[in-house]
Amino acid sequence: MATAVGSAAPLEASEDLRRGETWSIRWRTGFDRWIGFLLPLLFLVAIVPILDVVYYISSKAVPTLTWGVLTSTGDYQLHDALGVPIESTFLFVLLATVIAVVLGLFGGVATAEFLPERAAGWVRMSANLLAGMPSVIVGYFGYFAFCLYFGWGLSFIAGVFTLSFFMTPYIFRTADLAFSSVPRPIREAAYGSGARPTQYILRIGTPIAFPQILTGVFLAMAIGVGETAPIVLTVQPGLLVPPTLTSPATYLTALIWTGFSQPPSVALTIAFQAAFLIIVVVLVLNIAVRIIAARYRKRLEGLYQ
Amino acid sequence: MSGTPATFEGPVLSTRGLSVLAKKKAILDHIDLDFAPRSLTAVIGPSGCGKTTFVRTLNRMVELTPGLSVEGSVLYLGQNIYDRGVNPVLVRRRIGMVFQRPTVFPMSVFENAAFGLRLIHADEDEIDREVTEGLRRAGLWDEVKDDLNRPALSLSGGQQQRLCIARALAVRPRVLLLDEPTSALDPMATQRVEATMQRLKEDFVLILVTHNVGQAARVSDRVAFLHTGKLIEVGATAEILERPRDPLTEQFITGRFA
Repeated sequence: MATAVGSAAPLEASEDLRRGETWSIRWRTGFDRWIGFLLPLLFLVAIVPILDVVYYISSKAVPTLTWGVLTSTGDYQLHDALGVPIESTFLFVLLATVIAVVLGLFGGVATAEFLPERAAGWVRMSANLLAGMPSVIVGYFGYFAFCLYFGWGLSFIAGVFTLSFFMTPYIFRTADLAFSSVPRPIREAAYGSGARPTQYILRIGTPIAFPQILTGVFLAMAIGVGETAPIVLTVQPGLLVPPTLTSPATYLTALIWTGFSQPPSVALTIAFQAAFLIIVVVLVLNIAVRIIAARYRKRLEGLYQ
Repeated sequence: MSGTPATFEGPVLSTRGLSVLAKKKAILDHIDLDFAPRSLTAVIGPSGCGKTTFVRTLNRMVELTPGLSVEGSVLYLGQNIYDRGVNPVLVRRRIGMVFQRPTVFPMSVFENAAFGLRLIHADEDEIDREVTEGLRRAGLWDEVKDDLNRPALSLSGGQQQRLCIARALAVRPRVLLLDEPTSALDPMATQRVEATMQRLKEDFVLILVTHNVGQAARVSDRVAFLHTGKLIEVGATAEILERPRDPLTEQFITGRFA
C-alpha cells in the first residue's frame, strides 16, 4: 500500500506542496510570525502604565497609611485622618447603588421583556448616551436639577442622586442584556408551562440573569467610587459623619481633586492615600465580579447549548 | 377534572379556517383540522411548510413571536381560545408544549417537574403526587427517583427531554404539543421518547410535529401533511403513507424533496 502511494506518478507543479508557496502565502506566514511578537509587546504597552501608576501611588501612600489614619475621625484638612471620608464615601455609594439598582433593574427588565422592539431600541440608545456622557456634564445636570431646581442646595442627597444617575445606565445595560440573553427556548418553555410574565421574570429570568446583574452592580459601584465631578459639583465639602440628607459631606475622590491643588504636606499625602484606597476598592470589586461569574458559570453550564 | 364534560361530544381541539399572516404573506392558509381524544396526530411536511407555526397557534405560543397575526379559530372543547377575554396563560396550562431542544430550567429535577404546579400554588402533597406521576408517565422515574435533587442540567439530552414532557404533564393538561421533540436526540434517546409518546396517547391528545416520516409511521395514528402553509391531506397513518392521494405528499414521503 505504502509503495503504491510513494511511487505515484511525478506531481504536477500545481500539486507540489513545497513549490506552491506564492508571494502572498509567504507574506501572510511572515505576518503571522510578527504578530506573535507584536501582541505581547502591545500587552506590555497596556500593562506597564497601569502597573506604574499603581506602583507610584502605592509607594507614596502605603508608608504613611496606618490603621490610625484609616479610622481617625479628625479634620482631614489639618491632620492625616481618613475616617470621615471613608465613611461618607461608603454611604454615598451605598445609597446611590440602591437608587441605581431600583431604576436600572426595573428599566432593564421592562426594556427586555415588555417594550416593543422599536421603543426598546430608543431606551437602549438613551442609556448608552447617558453612560457615555462626560461626568462633568452629569455633575452640572445634578447641580441644576437637584441643587437649584429642587432647592436641595449643595448637599449630601443631591450628590447621592447625581451619582446614582451616573451608575444607573451600567446597571440598566447589564439587566437588559441579562434578561434579553436568556435563551429563547427557555423563555418559551416557561410561558408554555403557563407562567405569567411576572412569574417568568421572578422564577426563571432572575435566577439566570442574576450573576450578570450582580456583575453590573459591582462594576457600577467601582465606577461610582471613582467618580469625582458629580460629587464636587453638587456637594458642599464638610466633615459631618454620618451626613444628614441636606448636610455637607466629603468623598475620597474629592480629596484627590482638592489635595493636588493645595499647598503640600497633609493635603497631598491624603490625596495619595485616597487614590490608593480607591484603587484597592476598584480592584477588589473587579476580582469579586470574576469570582461570582466563575461560580455561576458552572451552575448554568449546559443552558446555552 | 378528567374526562370531557358529559355534554361535550366533539373533538378536544379543532381548527377552523386557521390562518397565520406575516405582513399579509400567509404562513398558514385556512387550516381545518380536528383532534379527537386519545389520538396521536403527526403533522409532517418539508422545512418552512408552517408545521411549527401551526402547533404554536394551538396554545397561543405564536403570540410570543412579534409580527404574526392569527385569523380563524382554534376551538378547545368548543370554545375559541382566541376569543376576547380568554387568558392565554390558562390556555397553555390546558394545552402543554414540548420543544425541539430540551429546555430544562437551571434547578433540580424535582423543581423542574414541579414548575407548572408551583405557578398555580398547588399544595406540597399535590406537587409530590403529580411530580411522581408526571415522571412515571414520561418514563423517567426509574432513572431519577434516587436523586430528585440533582441539577436537571446534569441529565443527558434524552433524559432532559423526557423531563420536559414530565414538566408539561404535571399540570394535567388535556393536550400535549410536541414540536420535533427528538430532533436534537441520538437514536437511543429518540426511541425512548417515542415509546413515551406511544404510552401517552392512551390518556392525552398528542400532536407531534416531525420532519421524519419514519417517526410518523412508528408512533402516529393519523398524519396531516402540510405544504407551503396549506393542509394537503390528512388521514390514517397507514393510509397516507402507503397510498397518498396527492402527488406532493407522495413526493415528500418518498424523499424526493425535503
